[in-house]
Amino acid sequence: MSDVALPLAETHERLARDLPSHEREGQIFWRLRTRLCAAHLRSLMAEARLRTSLVIGLSLFFWFGLFALFYGGFEFVVQHVDMPGAPYHAKTMHFVFSLFFLSLQVMLVFSSAIILYSGLYPSGETAYLLTLPTRDERLVDYRFQEALFFSSWGFFLLASPMLMAYGFVVAAPWYYFAYLPVLLASFAYIPCAVGAILCLVLIDRLPRLRRVVLGLAALAVIAIAYRSIWRTLDVSNLEALGRTWFTETYRKFRFMRDEWLPSIWLSHALIDAARRSNNNPKDLPWFESGKYMVVLVSNALFLRIVVGALGKRLFRSSYWGLHARPARQPKRAWGKLDSFVMKLLWMFPRSTRVLIVKDLRQFRRDPVQWSQFLIFFGLLLLYFANVDRFRQHRDNPDVLTWVNIVSFLNLAVVGLILSTFTTRFIYPLISLEGRRFWILSRLPIKRDTILWGKFFFAAGGSWLSCSVLVAVSDLMLDVAWSVVALHQFVCLLLCIGLAGMAVGLGAIMPDFREQSPSKIAAGFGGTLNLVLSALYILLVVLMTALPCHFYLLARKAEAATPTTLIQPRLLNFWMLLGLAGSTVLAVIVTVVPLRRGLRAFRRLEV
Amino acid sequence: MLRFEHVSRTYGSRLAVDDLDLEIKAGELFALLGHNGAGKTTTIKMLVGLLRPNRGSITVGAYDAVASPREVSRLIGYVPDQPFLYDKLSAREFLHFVADMYGLSATVSGEAVAREIERFRLTEFADRLAESYSHGMRQRTVFAAAMIHDPPVLVVDEPMVGLDPQSIKLVKDLMQQYVRSGRTVLMSTHTLGVAEQIADRVGVMKNGKLIFNGPVSELSEAVKGTDGSLEAMYLAMMEQLEGPEPTAE
Repeated sequence: MSDVALPLAETHERLARDLPSHEREGQIFWRLRTRLCAAHLRSLMAEARLRTSLVIGLSLFFWFGLFALFYGGFEFVVQHVDMPGAPYHAKTMHFVFSLFFLSLQVMLVFSSAIILYSGLYPSGETAYLLTLPTRDERLVDYRFQEALFFSSWGFFLLASPMLMAYGFVVAAPWYYFAYLPVLLASFAYIPCAVGAILCLVLIDRLPRLRRVVLGLAALAVIAIAYRSIWRTLDVSNLEALGRTWFTETYRKFRFMRDEWLPSIWLSHALIDAARRSNNNPKDLPWFESGKYMVVLVSNALFLRIVVGALGKRLFRSSYWGLHARPARQPKRAWGKLDSFVMKLLWMFPRSTRVLIVKDLRQFRRDPVQWSQFLIFFGLLLLYFANVDRFRQHRDNPDVLTWVNIVSFLNLAVVGLILSTFTTRFIYPLISLEGRRFWILSRLPIKRDTILWGKFFFAAGGSWLSCSVLVAVSDLMLDVAWSVVALHQFVCLLLCIGLAGMAVGLGAIMPDFREQSPSKIAAGFGGTLNLVLSALYILLVVLMTALPCHFYLLARKAEAATPTTLIQPRLLNFWMLLGLAGSTVLAVIVTVVPLRRGLRAFRRLEV
Repeated sequence: MLRFEHVSRTYGSRLAVDDLDLEIKAGELFALLGHNGAGKTTTIKMLVGLLRPNRGSITVGAYDAVASPREVSRLIGYVPDQPFLYDKLSAREFLHFVADMYGLSATVSGEAVAREIERFRLTEFADRLAESYSHGMRQRTVFAAAMIHDPPVLVVDEPMVGLDPQSIKLVKDLMQQYVRSGRTVLMSTHTLGVAEQIADRVGVMKNGKLIFNGPVSELSEAVKGTDGSLEAMYLAMMEQLEGPEPTAE
């Protein structure tokens, strides 16, 4: 066999030489992308027309709603602050734009890093592509394009109506609208590329960093961020929304107007492009704006090169490092928690308790679930912990109005975030169980017990976290104890209703062919669950918020109500009616889907 | 053609592959056997560029697997234990994509796709989206993709899982034909009967170590007192190393 060695070596060299060039490889991946997108669109139009129409319709509704909102806001600025081109107008708009874009910039960094990580490292597609003669930098670029798209579509959905509205309000010249797509695209690219760089470097270093060091670093970052936010917002001794308050707030936010930030380049570019020339031949707004656009585009292109270079240098080694980590073993301490939960749920049958503990274990061992939970609820907690701006002005009826509105809005936000979780993680539980259903169906337990176990797990788990969040919000806003109690009751109704709906609909419309929970959640049943959940939250919160709002106003400010229906003597009645209505609604959305789900689950053949 | 020199790989403190020394020549079909967790898949993953050895080197032809993964992957056709396909591509589109990635020209690519579709009997479903395929259909498509560029080395991890008897026969014949034309096959399998029928040489791994490397006939000399089948010899060898398995009684 060794006599074939020389010709073989030559053949191998020729084969390796024939591999596609950079440009050819780019074309191949582009064709792959367009084929996949076209197939996805075809299947969406054929199989999920309702969902697609719903998503497009809601997006358009959202876009036009934002446009109207921003239009009104910018008209206010033009009428009450100053005209475009005037220093006060520019100063105000700089504040608005830089705050808005800086916030989105930070979010884009994190979302791009997280999406790129899940696309590059734990993905079966990446593992397959690595076994083909794909260049590492091409693979990173291919995945980065996805991360860029999925992390920035929300940014475009928010920023485009705002900037279009601004352009129309200030009657911006044509080049403002022509610059917009380039400005937004190049701006979004920069934080996304920074996120990609962070992802590659962090994963490359991760196996070498001790977990304790990482934990301490994360804690330090959170502590610094928390302290910065606290100090920035701490203007409690000043008159809320007054001149001094504005001046002080403007001063405290000066960090976001640093000239090295891409958000400030974008703000400069937008404000310059939107104003008219002041008849000075040397004043060329299109040129001034264009200079910032060039800065944004060149930085985006530079970062593209950096991502490519790091991809080539770090990706494969970081992939190797990550996939050579030892398999994790369950920690003993968590076993104690499981025993504690078993004891805590003493009132349930043992089989239900065992199923609840099984779902709890799966939750805490799935980083996708607990990390999303931590991020969303952590951000909410951070916001709620800083929402006590109105405390010292509680005697003012105007402020009181805001306190009540904000406290109920916070409750609604908690419910809406919870509904995304129940849709993403609870709704697919039965579908995912289908693949292992033969194990459960062989056990000596009733099928109803499985469904009840999931319901109690979802309702109990969500109530524990949501009630804490709502309590923090109420304590920071210093609302009356009666309102705290009301909010806790509504929170309980929301948790039970959302859990019942997700578990019930999940059992009525299971998808046993799909293995990915996110795809199950994105199907028709998941979308229906999300829409119904949002409606339920809005109805419950409105039914309890409105009577409570008028009741408190009437009591605290002794406001005379002009209409016969909203008279103080009738407010108690409206309060009770709202509470009763919410409770009835909660019973319906819990019992109806669960009963139907139980019936469907009993008849299930897998 | 394939050479593992003192290759070791750890996962944390666990040694998955321990000082592996192995050479597989052109025109040879080598079957890697061993219990679950013996180190077979880790060995294959290091060869195809999904893992890096902690120590030692792996060469395919003239290329080092760590230094030149792209060139090495051109020489290898890889069939993983869990087949990957794009759900929203048909088998034909997928094969064209893979052919393009290996640098085949449009004409050669078209011929190769037609050849593999016919060879693996994919015609019936070649233009349907892969999301509707059964496990066996997926496995056959992945086999076709691994052979689209006519590689000098075929690396197969658990080739028979999910295949119907007709497809198993097809794959066995194909691999034998492949080595007869001077190319190399490295196969990891638990299907000892297939290994016995078609392998020129078998390697038995245990706890990351290659404890046997040679033709089946040599194994029968090493393990006496069996009926001579590879299955019996393999089990006897493991029993000698571990002590007897507990009986049903």
